[in-house]
Amino acid sequence: MTGRRRQRPLLGTFVEIATTAEGPGADAAITKGFEVIARVHDLASFQNPDSELSRLNGAAGEAMTLHPLLVRVLRLARAMTHSSGSLFNCTLGGASVRRGILPDHGCRDFRDEGASDDVELRGHTVRLRNNVLVTLDGIAKGFAVDMAVQCLKRHGVNAGWINAGGDMRAFGDVAVPVVLRLLDDRLLPVGDLRNGAIATSRVASYDDARFPGTILSSHGHSPDVGLWSVIAAQAWRADALTKVAALAPPADRAGLLHRLKGRIVPADLGTES
Amino acid sequence: MRDKWMFYLSLPVAALVSPAYAVDYLSVEQAQQVLFSDGQTLTAVPVHLSSAQLSQIRDLAGVRQRNADPKVWKAEKDGQTVGWFLVDEVVGKHEFITYATALSVDGKVLGVEIMSYRETHGGEIRRADWRALFKGKTLSDQFRLNRDIPNISGATLSCRNVTDGVKRLLALQKVALMP
Repeated sequence: MTGRRRQRPLLGTFVEIATTAEGPGADAAITKGFEVIARVHDLASFQNPDSELSRLNGAAGEAMTLHPLLVRVLRLARAMTHSSGSLFNCTLGGASVRRGILPDHGCRDFRDEGASDDVELRGHTVRLRNNVLVTLDGIAKGFAVDMAVQCLKRHGVNAGWINAGGDMRAFGDVAVPVVLRLLDDRLLPVGDLRNGAIATSRVASYDDARFPGTILSSHGHSPDVGLWSVIAAQAWRADALTKVAALAPPADRAGLLHRLKGRIVPADLGTES
Repeated sequence: MRDKWMFYLSLPVAALVSPAYAVDYLSVEQAQQVLFSDGQTLTAVPVHLSSAQLSQIRDLAGVRQRNADPKVWKAEKDGQTVGWFLVDEVVGKHEFITYATALSVDGKVLGVEIMSYRETHGGEIRRADWRALFKGKTLSDQFRLNRDIPNISGATLSCRNVTDGVKRLLALQKVALMP
């Protein structure tokens, strides 16, 4: 049995890439995979004032031509904002800045939140309307994993997995046992992942949260506080859908997730003990 | 004015591929090949840090260099020194991480690779070969719930410890490896 498993500190977390192949070719592919993840992070970081996303947020409604990778994740974020009825909402940057959860890079007047059509996309040109600030924190890490998986496949790697601090995707002929590390350090085995992605978020009220995270709009109803794990074909989708799962009205949750091509697993993780 | 918002946060939860309590990623030789893949030659260089150098490193990095005999290799190509390769360890609250760092001659980080990860408490550490995960399993479903997994102790993955360690190695280079 051969294989290579590597881990690098990236994005303030550990990113792990494993492949069934090994040797110089596999190592070169894995290194490129790590680079893709770092690249997406550099482009889509709200925290970094020099990222392309920050330049877009600071462009005061002017159109900008952006890197294809950033355009791609913006397109996905915009579509998910629309199709989830803004339960996932990529225009919550303003609300997060006002609460000190994301840094203020000196943008002029901005709104707490907007809607999907406030992000205008034409080819690689993007314009933000109505003074919204876009944050991709709830989707970009998953997207980075997807892009790295594509990169590995392009370089001849047929099977493996990538885990970027919890956004995980397995591809090819592997079954990856997944364990969640809870905030109290307990480890919770959740199952085996195969040809798909899993993401997990803990939803907490603002006052209870120990660490910064992605802000969720409440739209007048409270999300279900607890752990939300979602599986989907792609990591960006699983990542974004953990927010949708937390905010969806319980009666509609399973149907909505199904329509958005995700699945909550397992149901008994949805409450915090 | 009353805030019309009810604020809730979504916080990522770390997920691990089990067995996570002890993973060997790369040997020294493998890490060298990964970080210097361009035909460089690596030669071990004995380095002993004096107590003055150790305190200089602490002043520069803000972190104590405990090991006075760091593991250092020089990377050369066509007779020129092109970089340095260092193997170091960091001990976190619950874990012990061995990692490799490649530095350029002018003090830039070329790459960092985790070589091994060990949890340090919670009874005996079990080492299972992660390659067993690659055995062609015949799962038809994308996801199967709650496979039996041996009881594992808790630990916090300390990325911060590694980043602090790399900062310390940059200081070490400045103090002991630069002309």
